[in-house]
Amino acid sequence: MAEPIDEMTVIAWVDGELAPAQATRVEQAVAADPALRDLAETHRAMRARFAAAFGSIADEPVALPSAEIISFAERRAERTRRLWVPGAIAASLVAGLFVGQIQRPAGVTDRADALALAPDLARKLDTQLSGEPGPIRVALSFRARDGAYCRSFTATHLDGVACRTAAGWTLRYAAPGTASGGDYAQAGSDPAQASAVAAMIAGEPLDAAAERAARERGWR
Amino acid sequence: MDAFETALIRLLPRLRRFAHGLTRDAADADDLTQRAAERALKSRAQWQPGTNFDAWAYRILRNLWIDTARSRQRRDKVIAPVEDAEAVGAPGDAEAAAERLFLMRAMDRLPDEQREAVALVMIEGLSYAEAADVLEVPAGTLTSRLVRGRQALAKMLGGGE
Repeated sequence: MAEPIDEMTVIAWVDGELAPAQATRVEQAVAADPALRDLAETHRAMRARFAAAFGSIADEPVALPSAEIISFAERRAERTRRLWVPGAIAASLVAGLFVGQIQRPAGVTDRADALALAPDLARKLDTQLSGEPGPIRVALSFRARDGAYCRSFTATHLDGVACRTAAGWTLRYAAPGTASGGDYAQAGSDPAQASAVAAMIAGEPLDAAAERAARERGWR
Repeated sequence: MDAFETALIRLLPRLRRFAHGLTRDAADADDLTQRAAERALKSRAQWQPGTNFDAWAYRILRNLWIDTARSRQRRDKVIAPVEDAEAVGAPGDAEAAAERLFLMRAMDRLPDEQREAVALVMIEGLSYAEAADVLEVPAGTLTSRLVRGRQALAKMLGGGE
């Protein structure tokens, strides 16, 4: 006979949390022991009772907060204006841009299938080290939590964070360029970009040696 | 309506049900659900694509409730709570509402950490791993809170002891 079966195990069995082999063992034990059977029945009935009593609540539709929809739409329109006035020029940097995406909020994108980058910018991201001068400047390189190499950059009319995926460099964050504004000469000084990086980064940014090594490996 | 808003709208009824489990009060649950939806919309940039959206949204609602309950505890020391006020206008028919009220009164008597584990697993039907993810605790912690909550509820509802 294996070790006795405790209440925690019975509950886990009732909840369908046990691996098949262990579930079979508990099932047999419950069938053979009236006390265990009562215990299992108590927990099964209680779970069913809660599920039945509360279940219908989830059938009732709930609207998004209406005031929020308005203000959210306004904020989005505001962000869209901010992005897409300079965005007409930024579009020359970003391939795969089409009208439908103008409806999307600017700033941090919430989609994994964000815009693919133009070949010209992608090439710079492949080769250019952080801090090197040029029309495109990379502020820092880092590993994202999903393991991808990412680089935050400032181009003439576009600030962004791009990550290297199997499909190439993918834009994960974009905002109107700050580099030409004069006030923000420092690449990576956009606070929204910084917080986008902070939300994505795993650990610390790459140092110069790690960045060179990553470049050698093609950012894979 | 983008993918984020669609996902949120789809989840809202279940968030509201979870709110019933946490607050044990229909009016509080509606209020909490709306505030959680607002917070989720405002915080959408913090959601990481590829991570579990449902767990993220449940977590927002639960954290808002912790803040609310904390400030309310202070208030309730002065103003006694109105008993069973939620019986009026509760969703569903009278019998179902009475049954729900009965179970919510039983949940009142659980410590917060056991109540939220019970609500996520028994009411929301989350797996242990998903519930642990929402509460940001190790799986073993979730399991022991859940088991203690279930044992206490079984005693209360069994009418014995």
